[in-house]
Amino acid sequence: MTLFNTLKNGAVKAVSSYKQILLIWVTTLILVLAVGFPLRAFLNMIFDSSMIVEKLNDGFDIGVAGDIGRPFGALMASASAGTFLLSIAGFFLMTFFAGGLFRRFTMAWGRQKVSDFLRASANNFLPYLRIAILMMLIIGVLTFIMIGLPGIITMAITGMQTPSGIVMKILYVLWVLVMPVWLFVADASRRWVAATGSHKTFRALGAGFRALRERFWLSYGTVLAVLLINAAFVAAVFWFASIATPDKGIMVFLFFLATQTLVIIRLFMKAWRYAAVCEAVQ
Amino acid sequence: MCKVSKGLKIWLIFKDLFINRTVMRKIFSVFMCLLPLVAAGQAILDKPLSARLTGYDIDVTLDPEKHIVSGMMTAWWVNNSSMPVGEAMMHMYLNAFSSNKSTFASRGNWSASGKDGWGWVKVSSMSDRKGNDLTGLYGYVSPDDGNEHDKTVLRIALPEPVAPGDTLVLKLDFISKLPSPIRRTGYDEDFHFVAQWFPKFGVYETAGMRQREADGWNCHQFHPNSEFYSNHSVYNVSVTLPSEFVTGSGGMLIEEIDLGDGLKKVVWRAEDIVDFAWTAWPGYEVLDRKWNHVDITLLTSKTGLSKADNHFEAVIYALEYLNERVGPYPWPHLTFVDPPFNGSGAGGMEYTTLFTTMGAGAIPSFMKMAEMVTIHEFGHSYFMGMLASNEFEEPWVDEGINSYWEQRIVDHYYGDGYGLLRLPFLKMSDADQGRISYVTSPNRTIATNDLPSWMYPHGTYSMMSYNKAAVWLHTLEGIIGTETMDNVFREYYRRWAFKHPSGQDFIAVVNDVVKNEHGNRFGEDMNWFFNQVLYGQGECDYRVSGITSNRIRSYSGVVNGDSVTYTRSDRSSDTLYLSRVSLERLGEVILPVEVLIGFDTGEEVLENWDGTGAYKDYEYTGVGQVVWAKIDPYDKIDIDINRMNNSFTLDPSGATTRRMMNKFMFLVQMMISIFTL
Repeated sequence: MTLFNTLKNGAVKAVSSYKQILLIWVTTLILVLAVGFPLRAFLNMIFDSSMIVEKLNDGFDIGVAGDIGRPFGALMASASAGTFLLSIAGFFLMTFFAGGLFRRFTMAWGRQKVSDFLRASANNFLPYLRIAILMMLIIGVLTFIMIGLPGIITMAITGMQTPSGIVMKILYVLWVLVMPVWLFVADASRRWVAATGSHKTFRALGAGFRALRERFWLSYGTVLAVLLINAAFVAAVFWFASIATPDKGIMVFLFFLATQTLVIIRLFMKAWRYAAVCEAVQ
Repeated sequence: MCKVSKGLKIWLIFKDLFINRTVMRKIFSVFMCLLPLVAAGQAILDKPLSARLTGYDIDVTLDPEKHIVSGMMTAWWVNNSSMPVGEAMMHMYLNAFSSNKSTFASRGNWSASGKDGWGWVKVSSMSDRKGNDLTGLYGYVSPDDGNEHDKTVLRIALPEPVAPGDTLVLKLDFISKLPSPIRRTGYDEDFHFVAQWFPKFGVYETAGMRQREADGWNCHQFHPNSEFYSNHSVYNVSVTLPSEFVTGSGGMLIEEIDLGDGLKKVVWRAEDIVDFAWTAWPGYEVLDRKWNHVDITLLTSKTGLSKADNHFEAVIYALEYLNERVGPYPWPHLTFVDPPFNGSGAGGMEYTTLFTTMGAGAIPSFMKMAEMVTIHEFGHSYFMGMLASNEFEEPWVDEGINSYWEQRIVDHYYGDGYGLLRLPFLKMSDADQGRISYVTSPNRTIATNDLPSWMYPHGTYSMMSYNKAAVWLHTLEGIIGTETMDNVFREYYRRWAFKHPSGQDFIAVVNDVVKNEHGNRFGEDMNWFFNQVLYGQGECDYRVSGITSNRIRSYSGVVNGDSVTYTRSDRSSDTLYLSRVSLERLGEVILPVEVLIGFDTGEEVLENWDGTGAYKDYEYTGVGQVVWAKIDPYDKIDIDINRMNNSFTLDPSGATTRRMMNKFMFLVQMMISIFTL
């Protein structure tokens, strides 16, 4: 199978899984609303009838933080703690739903009921969690070896406050180029669990590495292509979100719709990677 | 390279030939009588800018292995008082680093890095111009806190009083050991920043000067928070050191002589500056730029080269701005240093024609922190350098005024509202950075703003002397107008450049200029302002407490000058409303404020409230209802500690908070999808 066909078939499967993806989106939305609504109420209480919010129309003016005073500290603490808890919950949630998605991409193609999707998610959750933790550990250690350690040495030698120089630039590029390998192994391992029903984590990882070795260029190329497209997409949406400053009610609502649409697209792109890897391995 | 006058070259040749030869000492002593006249000769400036009551001729050697600077110095001081003076006082700054019991070390949490880290300065011999040995006639005093362990002020009992108009000439052999870690001055490996390194006269103040009642020396100990008060002086400084060292100083390079054996002698001269510092490090990269008549030199490390343009740009911005709005920068030279990482303890300091900034390497381009430091430290060339106030006793005149100008410059050139930080979703002005420090400080009311630097309680020194002072100077600008404020500083410069102004002298300038430009619009003088913000401890807080609008059922009275009788109409367009805007002054500080009031008809009314009462109600009768009100709508009263309550609307939209929450949720959702496998 060619790289193009792999990507195309993966995209078709991802789009066909729109119900599952919309379910994931709704779940993440409910999750963030659980923190977002109280924070908004807190902000409304702080600003009350003050018109100082006008100063926040084109970005957050830190000068206003001084006027908010102590409640600003409480606001920041709530937002930070909320973000941390949401990240943890989100990690478990995405790991959970990955089980359902991989099952869908490995089973005989056809309808998958929501109950089947959730059952597959639950069934695969623990091995997926172990794989996710192991792979994140591997990526963390590798990042330290490739970027952290040379950075520390560079700073010690040059006396600079940040690592820089041609060697570091090369290492950054190498790190980016190595990333698809680990993502492919993680995805191929999870595909193996979904396909075989086995919960043996290390055997799954072995299968992931084996799949990589057997079809290296197709596997690597598939993940690299999806990653690059994803990176461009993420950069574009963050740029959009940072410069958008709607200040009227209807515009804010449209902004909400736009950002949530982008979240859905991002979830589709993640599912595309899963599906493409499954295609590459088959 | 500068042009050196013939007179100066002759003097330097003479000095090299004779100054260190014992047989010539008597000739030299006679010559020293004429030293002030010689020193007054011009090498850099067309004419003396100051009274030049003190001068220093220093010839030293740097031992970079032991981090010791040693040699001889001839220092002179002219008694410009009407009375004979029987003693002299000198700063011995480096002794602040000689033990952990010095006032500086004990209060500033400085301790030496090992036994080689201690710093000190010793006078090994001292004589007057007649050759009288003064050994035994001097000892240490602690005028500020009586700390017997502090040896930063030397009192010399003179064998003969110095007559009015006469010159005291002291010839000293001294040794200065630089401290480590660097705090303003010191060394780290082969990096040397040599500041506050030689015995230096205090300022002899005559009665009336800075509101002083009687003549006397003003010579304070070395404190953690302040260090400057000196006469404008002439410096001739020669330093012998290994040839591989790259050097820079607050003086103009006169010549660099290769002495052979891997040594060189660097000769500098400086005129009308309040302190002389220099630096030596083999790793310096030297860059030059020219702005009008000023040769600007940057000493930086290799890693700092990439940000050199940013620093030069910042210095030139500051030069332009202060030249136009305060007064001319007179010297043809300016050197500044971006120290290497291991020398960062020397960063952020000022020595008039030499200053140090901070490394910008790790700072992203959307933050102008390093540029802010560059502009701030250059600003001291004016505020304390030319306008040589007493930083020990009145730090607000130095740091407060300088912070005010730094904030104006940063926000003017890098963006009003986002001078310090500019991102699409986040911004901060430099003025706000200072204001936040003041308005968020829980102990902003525990002290007045006129204390000596070492008297600020509970760590309030920086918040008060830098930030509160800058905040009320912005407020003063808001009240009297930017043009008048600029004229205040032009006049301040005209009257006080190269002299020693006090805070009272600055206030007198404000009073004169404001009276001249605005008459009695703000009262007889502006003392009411300074009495509250500088000499008072109160805070300023205005509040819109509420808005009400009631439909009038019947009305008899005057509307827009016409007498009317009104009975409620059935037509809504004819309905009259009585609207009331309630304002309150919650703080003790009384300042005039503008109040902008908006109606549902789109009409806006600007009122002026003198703020004298604790509250004020504005009432309006008409077809429009008041829907919002803003106190200080143009943010002129920076010293108001809470702008949240300065405005009130009956129709808070909530759109902004909804948008903020949308962005928060979007960000978290994207993070979850990106950082999970």
